[in-house]
Amino acid sequence: MAETKPAPGDWIGASLLRREDARFLIGKGQFVADIRLPGLEDACFVRSPMGHASLRGLRRPAEWAERVYTHDELGPFQALPAGPDIPGYRNVAYPVLATDRVCFAGQPIAAVVAPTRGEAEDIAGLVELDLDALPAVTDAVLAMAPDSPRIHDAWPDNAFITSGARAGDAAAVAATAPVRITRRLRMNRQSIVPLEGRAALAYWDHRLDELVVYLSTQGAHVMRLGIAQALGISEHKVHVIAPDVGGGFGGKNRLTPEEIAVCALALKRGHPVRWIEDRREHLMAAPQAREHVYDLTLYADRDGTMLALEGDVYIDAGAYPLWPTGAFAEASMAVRNLTGPYRIRHIALRNHTVATNKPPMGPYRGVARPGACFAMERLADELARELGLEPIEIRRRNMVTAGEMPYVTAAGMRLDNGDYPASLDEAARSIGLDAIRARQRTGEPDGRRIGVGFAFYTEQSGHGLKEWARRGARVMPSYETCTVRMLPDGSAQVLVGIQNHGQGLETTLSQIAAQELRLDPARIAVRHGDTAVSPFGFGTFASRSTVFAGGAVARSCRILAEKIRRIGGHLIQTDPVETRLEDGHVVGPSGAAVSFAEIGRAAHVRQEMMPPGVDPVLEATATYEPADSSGTFSYSTHAALVAVDPLTGGTELLDYVVAEDCGTMVNPLIVDGQVTGGVIQGIGTALYEEVPYDESGQPLATTFADYHMPCATEMPRVRISHFVTPSAITEYGIKGMGEGGAIAPPAAIANALADAFRDSGAQFNETPCTPRRVVAALEAAEVPT
Amino acid sequence: MTRINLTLNGRAQHREVEPRQTLADFLRDGCDLTGTHLGCEHGACGACTVLIDGLPARSCIHLAVRADGCDVRSIEGLRDDPLTVLLRRHFHEAHALQCGYCTPGMLVTARDILRRFPAPDEATIRRELAGQICRCTGYVGIVEAIRRAGAELANQPS
Repeated sequence: MAETKPAPGDWIGASLLRREDARFLIGKGQFVADIRLPGLEDACFVRSPMGHASLRGLRRPAEWAERVYTHDELGPFQALPAGPDIPGYRNVAYPVLATDRVCFAGQPIAAVVAPTRGEAEDIAGLVELDLDALPAVTDAVLAMAPDSPRIHDAWPDNAFITSGARAGDAAAVAATAPVRITRRLRMNRQSIVPLEGRAALAYWDHRLDELVVYLSTQGAHVMRLGIAQALGISEHKVHVIAPDVGGGFGGKNRLTPEEIAVCALALKRGHPVRWIEDRREHLMAAPQAREHVYDLTLYADRDGTMLALEGDVYIDAGAYPLWPTGAFAEASMAVRNLTGPYRIRHIALRNHTVATNKPPMGPYRGVARPGACFAMERLADELARELGLEPIEIRRRNMVTAGEMPYVTAAGMRLDNGDYPASLDEAARSIGLDAIRARQRTGEPDGRRIGVGFAFYTEQSGHGLKEWARRGARVMPSYETCTVRMLPDGSAQVLVGIQNHGQGLETTLSQIAAQELRLDPARIAVRHGDTAVSPFGFGTFASRSTVFAGGAVARSCRILAEKIRRIGGHLIQTDPVETRLEDGHVVGPSGAAVSFAEIGRAAHVRQEMMPPGVDPVLEATATYEPADSSGTFSYSTHAALVAVDPLTGGTELLDYVVAEDCGTMVNPLIVDGQVTGGVIQGIGTALYEEVPYDESGQPLATTFADYHMPCATEMPRVRISHFVTPSAITEYGIKGMGEGGAIAPPAAIANALADAFRDSGAQFNETPCTPRRVVAALEAAEVPT
Repeated sequence: MTRINLTLNGRAQHREVEPRQTLADFLRDGCDLTGTHLGCEHGACGACTVLIDGLPARSCIHLAVRADGCDVRSIEGLRDDPLTVLLRRHFHEAHALQCGYCTPGMLVTARDILRRFPAPDEATIRRELAGQICRCTGYVGIVEAIRRAGAELANQPS
């Protein structure tokens, strides 16, 4: 772990141990399923057993009929338009419960309520469905064929939207470029799998006259918007509480039908109702992720200079859009990030966001960029191989250098600062590229082949209003809010609209408040996850919370600090401008000091001590949006060393290094934890995790026996090198970094596999690179085993 | 309903349970011991690991009736257990948890690893942790915490 020694009283850069840990280590975290209320009933759902079918009707067991709710009995629900608000986007409602059609296996059809989950499942098992199977659409590329069955009958084809990105004159370059690399690359569909699944508990609180909803969510305030809208209730009568949230990774940043149904059930039943998603439901019906297909051609000169990129990107978005933003961000982010750090000035890219008979696609750590990075970095390696160059050399020749920054890419991303080639060189040094090349020449005693692979990515964060407007976001998360409150004893509360769910934000935000207030973090509480506690905010996703909420904390604390100094100066009879804050005191030039406790006391309960004209109470609220709306870019090079058994196709990770730059680190310990956690998820994408579907739309991975999670035995010890190029547009120079670790592993590992068999030209263009796919790739390249 | 008698976290319990109720549901719903978490409910993720007669077991696939006559210990019953206290400190210092959902099961298994392997090396720890899923940390901090705790135990005068 990184070691840093900030100056005494400086908390930015301190590897403070996490304050969150204590409750979890004694089993006293409080997740939604841990909440106990009198009269609580459990809900479960009758789900479609078919991938695509007409729903003719439903027969409920007579004895339990009043415990089974269909859409008609639970509704009416108000429209909740989801997806971008842009021309050309075809909207369709994701029904809370299916009415006349089911569009994926697992789609909720009816809700059942009983005193226990077991009894609810018993009743659900007695509900008979009358379904007529329809042809299923399970491949996003085939779905765009003119004769493909339609999922939404009114649409002329199966695309939610077909869009693209163009710059320069790719066609002209294509006509003359001496080198062309054409590949189809596929990143398959996976589940998101926070260890706590989705969960909702709702009841009407008669004292407060409001609907209370405990929700395992990444953003309580935004979910309140959606719940209030769907149910047609005024927002002041909806109170959303996200208690401890057992991981989210993007999947809990959307409002899903089951959650709306639980709220409606609570209103119908008149007592608390909860639904705790089980793992099978999660793997079948929760938001899923990835599933991109890239048909691309990279054009280059003989010296390796990349010239143009053209082709098609297909995003398998599933059957419906999730509120609020649907899956369009996938396609737009994929094409806009596709050229990565490279000086490719000519692009002609089309993207297709396609409906299929699968669960809706949600955001998952990295959003689109794991696919884009996989495609581009695989092409870069194939180009290097074509020209007989080292893969890092092809990158060096095409990467934007520090001197060229800020650099606006062909797709309009403004790469703000950093030293990309230095990160590449550090990764090569750290993994020991020269030694690996020597080792490859000698061969492995066990007959395995080893290979090294590199992948580079940039990660946009802190992007503001213009960027979200450009994406047509219905909810534009372009700022965050903080209220800081000092109590009469001089301790402080920081109230924020983000949602800590593993990121250590209760610790890092207390460090930022401590930095500004010059107060020990132990005297600062951070509160979030409750619409009744914190001011409005958007929640935690898009690697945004430390940049946005950190900025809001800093600003609100500065406003409060001014008032503290004004009162403190009065109490020590010193001009406030000559005072400073130090270790919980206002200190004057003579050394005279007054504690925050005395100032807090004056401001709250002994107003006669206040300076004239200063209002009582110590509280300040501020919002924050970075100075430049186009965001700030973290970046990293990942390098993987693999050993592959050509006979079995089994791949072992021997080493994994990360050379990253996320600007100023508030807490380096937590940064390292986020990097490592992201990397393991990326390794899951690269090697293990997949939800395949058969041609009728049946999911083939619905337990952890079929869906392979990365475990301790498979994971390497990730080694991390840091560069620090502070952002010019954020408070303290922070850049967001929570997602980055997950972006590059599929590319780095597939490149390592290709490197292991570079003499044969075996192709590793589909994730996860399972033993079966590795063996198939070797057979296709006629590699002797 | 079936009557069961067991020792739970050191105290005798006499309870009526449904024959089909799992031990995990019995602990969580019957006894309000919510530190035992459910991550998969099919015995694969290890979040629900508790000790039955001193051995780690998946409470999600263990029927409560089978705990009749057993000594069951959940994370709540390990509050003052010296080995767990040691592990807790190292989990904290090595950043071995993020969302905290897998943590109780991890601690129960980690404790069992240290009971069976004095000062385990990294490969041993990883092998023995193979049945515990953590989605957040990449296992680095967890493995390191167990290794450090084992090393500290080995260096203690006996």
